[in-house]
Amino acid sequence: MSIKIGVGDFKERVHEELNNEFMRGAVRGAQERLRIKRLDEAEQLGNWEEWRSLGEEIRQHVLNHLDYYLYELSENVAKRGGHVFFARTSEEASQYVKEVVQKKKAKKVVKSKSMVTEEINLNSYLEEAGCEVIETDLGEYILQVDEDHPSHIVAPALHKNKNQIREVFKEKLHYSNTEKPEEITAFVRKHLRNEFLTADVGITGCNFAIAETGSITLVTNEGNADLVMSIPKTHIAVMGMERIVPTFEEMEVLVSLLCRSAVGHKLTSYVTAITGPREEGEADGPEEFHLVIVDNGRSDILGTEFQPVLQCIRCAACINVCPVYRHIGGHSYGSIYPGPIGAVLSPLLGGYEEYKELPYASSLCGACTEACPVKIPLHELLLKHRQVIVEREGKAPFSEKIMMKAFGLGASSDMLYGLGSRAAHSALKPFTKNARISKGPGPLKAWTKIREFPAPEKERFRDWFKNREGGKQS
Amino acid sequence: MKVSLFVTCLVDLFKTNVGKATVELLEHLGCEVDFPESQICCGQPSYNSGYVEETKDAMKHMIKTFEHSEYVVAPSGSCAFMFKEYPHIFKDDPIWEPKARELADKTYELTQFIVEVLGVEDVGAKMEGKATYHTSCHMTRLLGVKEAPIKLLRNVKGLEFTPLPGAHLCCGFGGTFSVKMGPISEQMVDEKVSNVESTGADYLISADCGCLMNIGGRMERQGKPIRVMHIAEVLNHRG
Amino acid sequence: MTGMIQNRTSFLKNIAEKLGRNPITKGVHRPSYKHTPQYEVLKTATRDELVSVLASQCSNIHVQLMETTADHLAEQVKAAVRSYGGGPVSVWKDERYAEYGLTDLVEKEWPHEQTLVHVWNDDLGEENIRLSEKANVSIVFSDITLAESGTVVLFTGKNKGRSMTLLPKHFIALIPQSTLVPRMTQAAQIIREKIKKGEAIPSCIQFITGPSNSADIELSTVYGVHGPVKATYIVISDR
Repeated sequence: MSIKIGVGDFKERVHEELNNEFMRGAVRGAQERLRIKRLDEAEQLGNWEEWRSLGEEIRQHVLNHLDYYLYELSENVAKRGGHVFFARTSEEASQYVKEVVQKKKAKKVVKSKSMVTEEINLNSYLEEAGCEVIETDLGEYILQVDEDHPSHIVAPALHKNKNQIREVFKEKLHYSNTEKPEEITAFVRKHLRNEFLTADVGITGCNFAIAETGSITLVTNEGNADLVMSIPKTHIAVMGMERIVPTFEEMEVLVSLLCRSAVGHKLTSYVTAITGPREEGEADGPEEFHLVIVDNGRSDILGTEFQPVLQCIRCAACINVCPVYRHIGGHSYGSIYPGPIGAVLSPLLGGYEEYKELPYASSLCGACTEACPVKIPLHELLLKHRQVIVEREGKAPFSEKIMMKAFGLGASSDMLYGLGSRAAHSALKPFTKNARISKGPGPLKAWTKIREFPAPEKERFRDWFKNREGGKQS
Repeated sequence: MKVSLFVTCLVDLFKTNVGKATVELLEHLGCEVDFPESQICCGQPSYNSGYVEETKDAMKHMIKTFEHSEYVVAPSGSCAFMFKEYPHIFKDDPIWEPKARELADKTYELTQFIVEVLGVEDVGAKMEGKATYHTSCHMTRLLGVKEAPIKLLRNVKGLEFTPLPGAHLCCGFGGTFSVKMGPISEQMVDEKVSNVESTGADYLISADCGCLMNIGGRMERQGKPIRVMHIAEVLNHRG
Repeated sequence: MTGMIQNRTSFLKNIAEKLGRNPITKGVHRPSYKHTPQYEVLKTATRDELVSVLASQCSNIHVQLMETTADHLAEQVKAAVRSYGGGPVSVWKDERYAEYGLTDLVEKEWPHEQTLVHVWNDDLGEENIRLSEKANVSIVFSDITLAESGTVVLFTGKNKGRSMTLLPKHFIALIPQSTLVPRMTQAAQIIREKIKKGEAIPSCIQFITGPSNSADIELSTVYGVHGPVKATYIVISDR
């Protein structure tokens, strides 16, 4: 199982990414545009806070009855002739898909964008089985050709500029036109069209499964998912187990929230609800349909204080407003899930050992919580992770633990605070010049690396208050 | 009206003028201000780093400090917000939860108190110059106070108020974040400084000392002439 | 033929355990949601107003809108196809073409002027896909049309291929005014009504909004990534 991307540790990755001028400019530009578009659409729609509350209510209801809805979904998929495989682990999921593909003697698979298939390393399993796997989402295709990783969950190739793309296509695909996006796109269209038409198996994700009808909903602007599920003879849909709604009525609410929050569209160009394989006599659509429902650590989040993170509809609105992501980009997170949602989810799916810095890579500004269309309290969950890291995992640095304990003592004792605060002025005098500290000791060192720090004043406020004429205190 | 001042540890030690201005301003508006001496710190620095148990004593200390207060007013959105968090932190404690709730219910950030409780939007302040305002994240998003400071600033005579581009972006303070994640915080504060400079303002005003120390400290290091002022100091300026 | 279900029992038992109870397989009802803003959108819009909304949305989604009456539909369709560079044309085997007076065009006029017409017919099997691939324009009737988003809803299935509208470079949707509803909310209700009446849900329902597009390269929008490059909606105003 791997959500992990990249090498090195967090600080090393951040250092490298902070020097990636193009990425930073691209992310800044993307954040500006997508944030404004989301806000505009929210305003146009009206009653946005009610919509968010409805989205939250729907997701919470489903999570609290997840077993019921998955049962209903599987019954209804099977009634329509589709096969359902429940996979506890990522290995089970990938192994099942591999077996289906092998049984079909498939040589070529076309795929539409699916985060969960990246989570379970599906492509490597299939390639091991001698199958060619072709990503058809434009951004994912670019990354596949360049052997790179996604840096954003909706716009995965955000960090790439058109010249880089042109170079890669020239080198690997003998592309001979310019870097103009229209020309690159026309080339990809032609190139991939042939792949759609000759693929043996189509693999998609699932934006929302609909329990009442046994349907899965695919949301794209490109229409690639529609081609993936209509031309190859076998269609395999892989879904994170929480990506489910009771009926079409809830699906439309969440799709409305998703499209506006993700890309500032009322609806994307293609929202398609598929139910089972093709009906008797239909000339396109798959003859065989498989739905793989993946747990991969999600059930361990149920029933815990982190359960709200499973409300996520993968819109990336949080990523688009995060002031930290803005500077460090997606690859810094070392996970296919970056930004605020990634900082909450990655330690849960990938472990604290690998991801213990992510919850601290936040000023808890709350922009993510404010942007989330289904009201996940993201910054609160980041804080909860810190509490877990300190108290349950015992992964906080020893020196910090000592400092915090001392702080706790000092902040609850008048005597200790009095001693410490009165001494502060003289203790820091050696470092003070013109009432400023420019090179501080201990915890002040990191601060004063780039900022001046005000020296503690000789007279504390409380002393001034006490001494003022007619001063009142209690 | 009797008001207990929750001055905050940053003001007590490093920005005493903000405390003084707050007291004078509230008195000017007709309040009787007292200062419960046993107050120390709301606990954010350790709480926000994940140290809940270590912070509980400090929080209980604050709850006891303000037990007899009618109104608790703080010149800090983040510290006022921290008091609002206390009832959730003590939610499983039948003794302290009601006390925490009582404190949370009577706590206000300064501009929030002036506008919502005193019902005043013009405090009679006067200050010449061009200013821009930094909306601190905890105050706007978490405490939910967005309009009050703007309303008050717009009534300061002589003050040319210009909006700050990228106001929604965090300045990079985030308490211990600024030192734990130094390189990232640096990028964030630099973008903030650049936005502040682009306004051509003489003053940067904010309602949170953490943000002011962060942005102000960076600008001072870079030798930039923009002066940072806490909103209490501006509103207390009458000449 | 019922499909196979594997590993369900232990999988769901684990979920129920984590939720602190036994597994549930029946008796859960959708709650009465506290907020229902979706019903308010375009609640009181008349049909003319919905057409107006659709028209203005078309300019946002890169769709050319034409309005006509049933009598003039054939000539408008012919003109639209010509503007896209002519045939070949792919249509479904669907009695609405005859109902709306397009039989002559499809069966006589186009063939007469050497415009190839492919009628999607299940008997042709896979050949349909190859023929659509070679077509320049696909033309279908919308089953439900969402004014707010400019979306045509297609209930694909027998003799109505799901890939047909994606393969050619140009897409024309014929929209009888009577198919207009405010937004997806009503479409979802219509679909659920059908299910309640015992109708089998189509194996593929497509909600199509304008041409295929992507912003994956430097956030620059490009059209016709895998599907159509251009789209025209023809609203038939008297039916």
